[in-house]
Amino acid sequence: MIGVIFGVIVPYIAVAIFVVGVVYRIVNWANSPVPLKIPTTGGQQKSLPFIKRTVYDHFDSPYTWWETAGRMLLEIFLFRSLLKNTRYYLDRVSQKDARWLWLFGILFHYSLLLVLIRHSRFFLDPVPSFVEQLSDIESFKGVFIPSVYISGLAIVVALFLLWFRRIFLSRERTLSLPSDHFALILLLAITISGNLMRYFFKADLFAVKELLMSLMSFNISHAVEVAETIEPIFYVHFALASFLLAYFPFSKLMHAGGVLFSPTRNMPNDNRARRHVNPWDPGDVPLLAKGITVAGRTYKSKKLDWDTYYEMYKDQLQEIEEADYKIVPEEL
Amino acid sequence: MEEMPEKIEIRQKFPSWREMLKPVKEFEEGRLSYISLPKQVDSEFFKMPFGDVERDFDDLKLPENWKEIFLDALKETLEKNRSFKLFMDICVRCGACADKCHYYIGTGDPKNMPVARAELLRSIYRRYFTPAGKLFGEWAGARELTEDVLKELYYYFNQCSLCRRCSLFCPYGIDTAEIVWWVRRILSRIGLNQRFMTISIEASSRTGNHLGLLPGGMYGAIQQGLEELKDYTGLDLHTYINKKGADVLFVAPSADYFATPHWYVMLGYLLLFNELEEKYGLTITWSTYASEGGNFGTFHSYEAAQLLNSKIYKEAERLGVSFIIGGECGHMWRDKHQFINTMNQPPKHEEWKKFWENPDLGELAEGLRGIRFDNYASGEHGWIHILEFVAALLEHKKITVDKSRNDKWIATYHDPCNVARGMGLIEEPRYVLRNVMNHFYDMPEHTIKDKTYCCGAGGGMLADELMDLRMRGVMPRMMAVRHVYRKYGVNILLTPCAIDKAQFPPALEYWKIPIEVGGPMEMVGNALVMTAFGEKPEDRQFDLRGEPLREEEGEEGE
Repeated sequence: MIGVIFGVIVPYIAVAIFVVGVVYRIVNWANSPVPLKIPTTGGQQKSLPFIKRTVYDHFDSPYTWWETAGRMLLEIFLFRSLLKNTRYYLDRVSQKDARWLWLFGILFHYSLLLVLIRHSRFFLDPVPSFVEQLSDIESFKGVFIPSVYISGLAIVVALFLLWFRRIFLSRERTLSLPSDHFALILLLAITISGNLMRYFFKADLFAVKELLMSLMSFNISHAVEVAETIEPIFYVHFALASFLLAYFPFSKLMHAGGVLFSPTRNMPNDNRARRHVNPWDPGDVPLLAKGITVAGRTYKSKKLDWDTYYEMYKDQLQEIEEADYKIVPEEL
Repeated sequence: MEEMPEKIEIRQKFPSWREMLKPVKEFEEGRLSYISLPKQVDSEFFKMPFGDVERDFDDLKLPENWKEIFLDALKETLEKNRSFKLFMDICVRCGACADKCHYYIGTGDPKNMPVARAELLRSIYRRYFTPAGKLFGEWAGARELTEDVLKELYYYFNQCSLCRRCSLFCPYGIDTAEIVWWVRRILSRIGLNQRFMTISIEASSRTGNHLGLLPGGMYGAIQQGLEELKDYTGLDLHTYINKKGADVLFVAPSADYFATPHWYVMLGYLLLFNELEEKYGLTITWSTYASEGGNFGTFHSYEAAQLLNSKIYKEAERLGVSFIIGGECGHMWRDKHQFINTMNQPPKHEEWKKFWENPDLGELAEGLRGIRFDNYASGEHGWIHILEFVAALLEHKKITVDKSRNDKWIATYHDPCNVARGMGLIEEPRYVLRNVMNHFYDMPEHTIKDKTYCCGAGGGMLADELMDLRMRGVMPRMMAVRHVYRKYGVNILLTPCAIDKAQFPPALEYWKIPIEVGGPMEMVGNALVMTAFGEKPEDRQFDLRGEPLREEEGEEGE
């Protein structure tokens, strides 16, 4: 029974929620209008030809599409903004580097990437050779028996480090919501159960692969058959992972997709070369002059166009006209 | 002898997320902004919803269905603005931004951490717009919108100067300025506006500038500048105002017409314009209608910003200028760089189009041929920063400068937040300063350029009632200034920003750093040799502050 629930039903539901949720969130973001071009410029703009820009400036203050793409790639693969991190100390003028968060973050995310790549062996048949090679390399094949996957252990360490930040640093403790702890605990539970299964309570991995392959080919009757034969420890891991998938679209974990949409990062700093059009405001007449409606009442500001202005301050403007629009020092 | 306290205890103000969710009930004096009066937000030219009621903080006199209006406005904002929606959703509360905020460093109030500031609203967003918040309430970090919460929003969202320093360090580029800006817009929909910024917005919507200066007043101010220049240089100078057919429209922040030390910068502009006209025939005009470069609307809401910046392109069109030069101002350049040509249609008149087809200054004044702007600007925008302009003139050797005239100054340069992080104008001012003076030193690397600290008074925080906040917020910047003051003997802090120039003099006094404040264009004006008027480098006797250039006679030469 456990096999059917956690091996077949739950994963299908979880994947469905995951796919629909993530697609919904992404489409929702992608469809939201971007009213203004607001890149945060982290370096020298493209400017007069003799003003030199360093390599960093090209990515921190991108002008072209390629530079912007470069900025995004650096952000995604190197966490460039976090890498700039410093910590403020009152007692000194210079700031100390505090890139621990960057280090823990990189450690976690790259371990996760390796772990996911290794897990693809359960979904792909035949297993691509680079997956095998990668696994061999990171486990230093032949050194330990059975092979110890570094990424599997590193991810646990990184998660603990990230969690300790939230527990022991006063600022981060204040900031952390239950959901922040929850995400870390969930990931810890998944990774620890995975490691336990790998090194201590072995599960039948051939059966696991058969289960996943039949799930993926919607061969449900076979999946049910196989599911009943797998050890319970596997379902601890598998159910938690399913839960993570279902939880993903509702949580802050969506930052994985969101980072791609951030207008302060993914827009080029080329405001002066190319006009950005606001989809809900063509910019012909100021919105306040058209009037804004709140709770059924319209509030309209009078537009100070030149003619209105001229009427209001006619005397003074005429004096300027009489002076032929020229200001000279008064004769004393 | 005073008795020592028995025990010194450091207590965490908000030990858990639960405490953070509770709205604060105590509001520090010196950090709470006054609420706008009807004359500011119910004016003919600037009418805000429910602006006709006089409010104070103890009695907000909210409209009956304020909650509904607030949530509707929040919903509208989420639908209208991708960045706002995204920034509500993807924050992971990693804390990278926390100690990047000068207000948090200065006040130590945890709710001034950028992430906490955003969480004030995110908690409401979760409660009303996300399934988790609706289901789990407090446990999902969600909270009800109550009047106390609203007061807290007003309190903290008016303790941000929109400097965007946090956004630089955020791994997702979450921009607190964006959140704060749109929250202030939401608050304005239920009648809560901050008085200081609306005073200026209203004045600018009615007269064209924040100071409420009428055409005659502006004329008189510039005239006085010319008179002072006559005293200092002995030259008969002039300038144009509202002149049709001029080549360039010049727009400066209105503080330059009156305030000190802005005034010296103003004199610098006038010297430069005269030299260019006399030598090359390039005419530059001021305008009383487009008399404000700054835009306090950018602190308040999209609509207010648009209302104020809509005038300038119209004026460029009316006067038939070829392009616009903008003066020394910080937030002006966020507005004039990132906002203005989206919020308005760029000019389409003949002269403008013709110039931008081949944007070479030689098309306007033959002697200036070779200075081109098509590397990065186009007729879809048309603004050039005065310091870019001067840098180009210096590079092409079109103006003559005498560095030694600035020898009494040992300068450092403060990057205004919006110029550095909203535009990327970082090296041009330094290029100019190195060319017009001999002693220039930068502050420590982590406090300048893109990482520059705010002066603590931007974003509408220049109000007098916020003095405590301002003096605390400026602290990181002041520590960096003190460092170069002690190390290099720096005696002037240069900044191309009108708000900086208003904030730094009291801040330097408060933090006991005995140095002056000025703008780069003042140094340019000092060093500029008016060759077209027959001036020789050694002719100038006074600097733009009216003080003798050389301390003692006879010291030179021998």
